[in-house]
Amino acid sequence: MLINDRIDSLPTDEVAGYKIRAGKPLPFGVSHVPNGLNFSIYTSCGTSCTLVLFEKGQPEPFAEIPFPENYRIGDVYSMVVFDLDFEVLEYGYRIDGPYNPEQGNRFDNQKILMDPYARQISGRDIWATEPDWNNIYPYRARVSFDDFDWEGDKPLEIAPNDLIIYETHVRAFTQSPSAKSSFPGTYAGLVDKIPYLKELGINCIELMPIFEFDEFENSRIHEDTGERLYNFWGYSTLGFFAPKAAFASSGKFGMQVDEFKQLVKSFHAAGIEVMLDVVFNHTSEGNENGPTLSFKGLDNKTYYMLTPEGYYFNFSGTGNTLNCNNPIVRSLVVDCLRYWVAEYHIDGFRFDLASILGRDPYGAPLSNPPLLESLAFDPILSSCKLIAEAWDAGGLYQVGSFPAFGRWGEWNGKYRDCARQFLKGDANKVGQIAQRIQGSPDLYQHSGRSPATSINFITCHDGFTLADLVSFNEKHNEANGEGNRDGGNDNDSWNCGAEGWTEDVGIQSLRRKQMMNALSILFTSRGIPMLLMGDEFGRSQNGNNNAYCIDSSLSWVNWDLLESNKKLYEVVKTLIEIRHQHPALRVNEFEGNGAHSVGLPSCSFHGQQAWSPDWSAESRQIAWMMTTDQTGEANRADIVYVVANMAHYASWFNLPESPNGYRWKFNINTGDENQPVSPPNSFLNEGGILVGDRSVVIFTADPIR
Amino acid sequence: MELSKATTNGWQVIKVSGQIDSKTVTDLKNYLDSNIAEGSPMGLDVTEVPFMSSAGLRTLLTLHRKTEQMGISLAIIGLKSEIADTMKVTGFYQYFTIYSDLQSLPAAN
Repeated sequence: MLINDRIDSLPTDEVAGYKIRAGKPLPFGVSHVPNGLNFSIYTSCGTSCTLVLFEKGQPEPFAEIPFPENYRIGDVYSMVVFDLDFEVLEYGYRIDGPYNPEQGNRFDNQKILMDPYARQISGRDIWATEPDWNNIYPYRARVSFDDFDWEGDKPLEIAPNDLIIYETHVRAFTQSPSAKSSFPGTYAGLVDKIPYLKELGINCIELMPIFEFDEFENSRIHEDTGERLYNFWGYSTLGFFAPKAAFASSGKFGMQVDEFKQLVKSFHAAGIEVMLDVVFNHTSEGNENGPTLSFKGLDNKTYYMLTPEGYYFNFSGTGNTLNCNNPIVRSLVVDCLRYWVAEYHIDGFRFDLASILGRDPYGAPLSNPPLLESLAFDPILSSCKLIAEAWDAGGLYQVGSFPAFGRWGEWNGKYRDCARQFLKGDANKVGQIAQRIQGSPDLYQHSGRSPATSINFITCHDGFTLADLVSFNEKHNEANGEGNRDGGNDNDSWNCGAEGWTEDVGIQSLRRKQMMNALSILFTSRGIPMLLMGDEFGRSQNGNNNAYCIDSSLSWVNWDLLESNKKLYEVVKTLIEIRHQHPALRVNEFEGNGAHSVGLPSCSFHGQQAWSPDWSAESRQIAWMMTTDQTGEANRADIVYVVANMAHYASWFNLPESPNGYRWKFNINTGDENQPVSPPNSFLNEGGILVGDRSVVIFTADPIR
Repeated sequence: MELSKATTNGWQVIKVSGQIDSKTVTDLKNYLDSNIAEGSPMGLDVTEVPFMSSAGLRTLLTLHRKTEQMGISLAIIGLKSEIADTMKVTGFYQYFTIYSDLQSLPAAN
């Protein structure tokens, strides 16, 4: 039987000329119902609520509909409004209630508030277009279609230990004219680069924030350069359910939802996962001096961590802190992530300053944070990757101890620091780098976690690019307009002999080699490697290690470098290929069986003498062998042997004897400037090799046919 | 919005003038429902459509499904390049066969 006439498809009341009926409190936000839209909004301390409706872009609302008191159930107001043209609709709420900040309430019925569940937000539709600063409702909730044709797509569910993550920023990636994109700086522009990323070999793209934000937040003109500075990176969320409109080439038509879904679908078709960098630690409403846009006026003390005096705790370093372990906020976060996974097919999330997600409403770290537990055991999120930036701006540092519930991975800050120190030849690093290379068992084994817990990286958006890491000893952040005070000072960088650009060919060649060394170590470590956009061809930000506010060629990827640094690119491509071809590098257990067939342990360390690593403080030579029998072929072992000489002089390394039936094949030798990628079928004919100063050589055991 | 029907080279061609958005899609949909006949391919002439909103593009996709079900081919004629771009980036474009003008329509067999 088909039911055509539902009783609730007709209105029961009329208010302000609009036909309405009591709505359903769940789901929150707006949903499509027969002949109308269901609006649902939560406020625990508000005393009344009015729905405010605008036609797109109009300065004044065309209707204000107070919720009849009988439309409230518990703390939720819900109402169906009939016959609205939702494609051109913008909506918000006014909430009445007490204004007594010392008790945590900041209600103000003069303000029109954005729905925290808004799936589309207008107001910043075209990047950096000066808005009307007197707009009474600057960021406006809109209604989306949510009817995308996925044609059978679903999240890819690539095994975590097989991932190779590529961190990128939507706008920075293709905005430069050198990207030759038909849709520069947008989701569609990123899609145009899929063939490139596919060729490079990565299988997961991690996008810096794409939740709607305001690029004009804290925007200012640089005193010396006259350049306008923006909130370019976007680590300041306006709406957790809405993709950034100005990153969509179709954002001016309000079609960002479709364009972003098309991006995910296209990446999936190429076998590449899409991971989002999400910012739940704070919102863009700032502290008591910041604007009232949504949460502040809806239920301030539910959403924010407040001091006993009603001020904002600032564990995020940006003014406020989202009250993540309040049950209401927890539900919001869970709803949000479920939405992105179910509706957008997102494969994983990286949580910015995730330690905040484990604090209680007064800021104290919890031992079993309910939010982290809810996410770890959520049925819809069960196959997606959850990765923590395991620290915050309030001094909590949890690399190795983030409450993982068997699920959470971590950005391994210790990997980054140690790899950088080892790379520049610091003393006393071989012991620690051995831990990092095998997936940091010192951090993760005792709690039963696996190597793929560790996201290994040497560079990320925060800090120097790889080319800058080997070209600058100090940060050079003058372009940010803060007198070079912003950005980290612990860079563990080394300029190779001159600060910044130099004509010295010796220094230039050393820098190229150091970049290759860094990535050779990264891609032969167990755990999940992450590459920063453009590092594969030497992208620079001229020594700026915190380009969060720069929207110019300084922060945009310069694609011309792909040609000028072709050799580096070829090396990175080969490294990724090696990683894909050699399961020994992707083993996801600390106590693996190794290659039984040839009697070799899963992971072993060596020095200039095989089987005999030199752990002393002055040692800068180490080699590692990784093996497995899990090759999909009977009696076929997979063996990779990496030799790293970080001393400033060439060093002889004896290799272990290759197992019976195998011989050592050269893959990469960063010390061979002309030919760092070894020609096919070059084999080691002696018992060892003289490894050049500051060089890495990668061998694999090749079966003799 | 103006709607008209003609036969060209064996195709039933429906011509739309004016923008297709949430205000006009219902008229378009009703017209299509009552005017598409089985048996010959269908062309939708949008040469005089300056803009298609999200709702408009969705109607196009519904039309694609409908003609598929009826077993007749569908062609879009005279699509503005800005609209084509929007369709490309949002995933709508791939479903359609596009001709620049009526003269390019191949003879229907």
